[in-house]
Amino acid sequence: MAAEAPSPAAARVVVTERRYLSRQTRRTIAFYTFIAPWLAGFLLLGLGPMLIGFLASLTNYNGVNLDTLQFVGLRNYERIFTADRDLGLAVSRTILWTMLNVPIWLVASFILALILDQAVRARGFFRTVFYLPSILPIVAIVWAWRVMLGQNNGLLNGILSITRGAPVAEIWLGGNNAIYSLTVISVWAGLGSGMIIFLAGLQGIPESLKEAARIDGAGAWRVIRHVTMPLMTPVIFFQLILSIIGSLQQFTIPMILAGGQLGSRPPDSTYLYMIHVNLQTFASQRFGYGMALIWVMFVVIILLTVIVFWTARYWVYYEADIK
Amino acid sequence: MATEIASAPPDQAAAHQVHPHQRERLALSYVVLIITTIFLLLPIVWLVLASFKSDVELSAFPIKVLPEVWRVQNYIDAVTMIDFPRYAGNSVVLATTNASLTVITSALVGFAFARIEAPGRGRLFGLVVALLMVPAVVYVIPQYVVFARIGLVRTWWPWVLWGISASPFHIFLFRQFFSAFPKELEDAAEVDGCSLFRIWWQIFLPNAKPAMAVSFILAFVWVWGDWFSPLLYLTDANTTLAVKLANAYVDPFGNPLITVTLAASILYALPLIVMFFIGQRYILEGVVTTGLKG
Repeated sequence: MAAEAPSPAAARVVVTERRYLSRQTRRTIAFYTFIAPWLAGFLLLGLGPMLIGFLASLTNYNGVNLDTLQFVGLRNYERIFTADRDLGLAVSRTILWTMLNVPIWLVASFILALILDQAVRARGFFRTVFYLPSILPIVAIVWAWRVMLGQNNGLLNGILSITRGAPVAEIWLGGNNAIYSLTVISVWAGLGSGMIIFLAGLQGIPESLKEAARIDGAGAWRVIRHVTMPLMTPVIFFQLILSIIGSLQQFTIPMILAGGQLGSRPPDSTYLYMIHVNLQTFASQRFGYGMALIWVMFVVIILLTVIVFWTARYWVYYEADIK
Repeated sequence: MATEIASAPPDQAAAHQVHPHQRERLALSYVVLIITTIFLLLPIVWLVLASFKSDVELSAFPIKVLPEVWRVQNYIDAVTMIDFPRYAGNSVVLATTNASLTVITSALVGFAFARIEAPGRGRLFGLVVALLMVPAVVYVIPQYVVFARIGLVRTWWPWVLWGISASPFHIFLFRQFFSAFPKELEDAAEVDGCSLFRIWWQIFLPNAKPAMAVSFILAFVWVWGDWFSPLLYLTDANTTLAVKLANAYVDPFGNPLITVTLAASILYALPLIVMFFIGQRYILEGVVTTGLKG
């Protein structure tokens, strides 16, 4: 402020004014100054591109040339629902994949957390081992699973060969199996972080509540069913939403498995929606169309989130005074 | 309550009856824990063993568990076949730069949300929380086009800008952490005429080392492991290990050299594993605080 002041007199006025700014005004200025990097980033790198993406979805933009750019109205959106041969495949695979991944991950990590919430030995050891895969970079994870599930050099086929007494060359990472392998890899990589979050939730449940139920004669299962589960529903709810959103956007594992280039096309079994988006945008250079696909996905995710939030009133248990 | 149980023999009998059930349940728990441990560790152990084999040995029938000769050569090839030091260096610089900036700006923004009351704060924090759930697809690709238009693709600038603009996840982490600080801490400083910036820098930051450690490690792990952004943005010269690892190790005919890539994968994952074991306690707490996967 002082740097812009034209004369010492004016500067003095600014200084006196500042002294009379109320404490609250000064704090408000400080607050907005402090959050400015984030707010600017959100507007310029988040909201801005988002809107540009939407505008691009109304054009034939190819991602490179602006001279050939034409406004095409809703034609890209029309095309999605009428003329995209691969779309049906992408949508059905994405739904199947999400329906496999979300429940398996959610139930498995919840059960692990329940187990570790008991008085088991070496709890710290198990916690560390379970979390370890979550820290590994995705490319390394994919390589590890390539030699687990590979056709000619995989451990699984190796073990099956021994048990069957003849060479087994099942294609786990391709054909119809690919989507199940993808689920295994994804659950493997995410089990630990899910377990950690559920475990923290479980440890926040007051022992007195469980004790009270036990004194009333409830067995272990009924304590879980009628005390633990209801109190855990807010955590389950949050994890459910995040894992649905994450699953719908999956593309990295199939893309790396397919060769790890922008144009790599995985087997039909794992031809997920976001892979379709990437291929359309980068390999086919239909940027405008890719953006339309993305906005359809965005709206679907928002709708799904709203629906899950709406169902929350029937199964999520909020009672402030228990915590 | 305890005396009540002690004075009532039937209850005590009931308590004794529960015991075998409990033992059974614990036994079952250990079985599940051990099976899960095998499931989670087997691919890692197998990866390590395979990285010391030859490609022929890897596809031997029947399978061999241990390598005949431990081929350290795979690791030497991994480092020399591609310019490994350069790509590792790129990964280190990118991850360190982005993580450092993320920690500093997120700590500042998180401090503002936790300690400075101002009109609009509640709503803006609501926005931060909502952004945790906004699917990245909606801005990732258009953001790339924006960066391309202003000439920042093929450079590391996007990582700098992503760092400076903080991230909702890290802001949330710091906000939760700073909210727990006692009010007296800043009151005394404020009476002495200390500016809010100095209060943050000299009082809050030095006391936020655990949160800073989590934030740094999680940001570092994210950039180090991120495969798509460098693939999209960077060139063969300034890209990261993640991109090279996906398909760079091939023989002169273009066939993948699997065991060499496995050795490279281990070298590539090792820094994260070391970081994890050093900062384990903080990382797990951080994941728990935000309720999110890193």
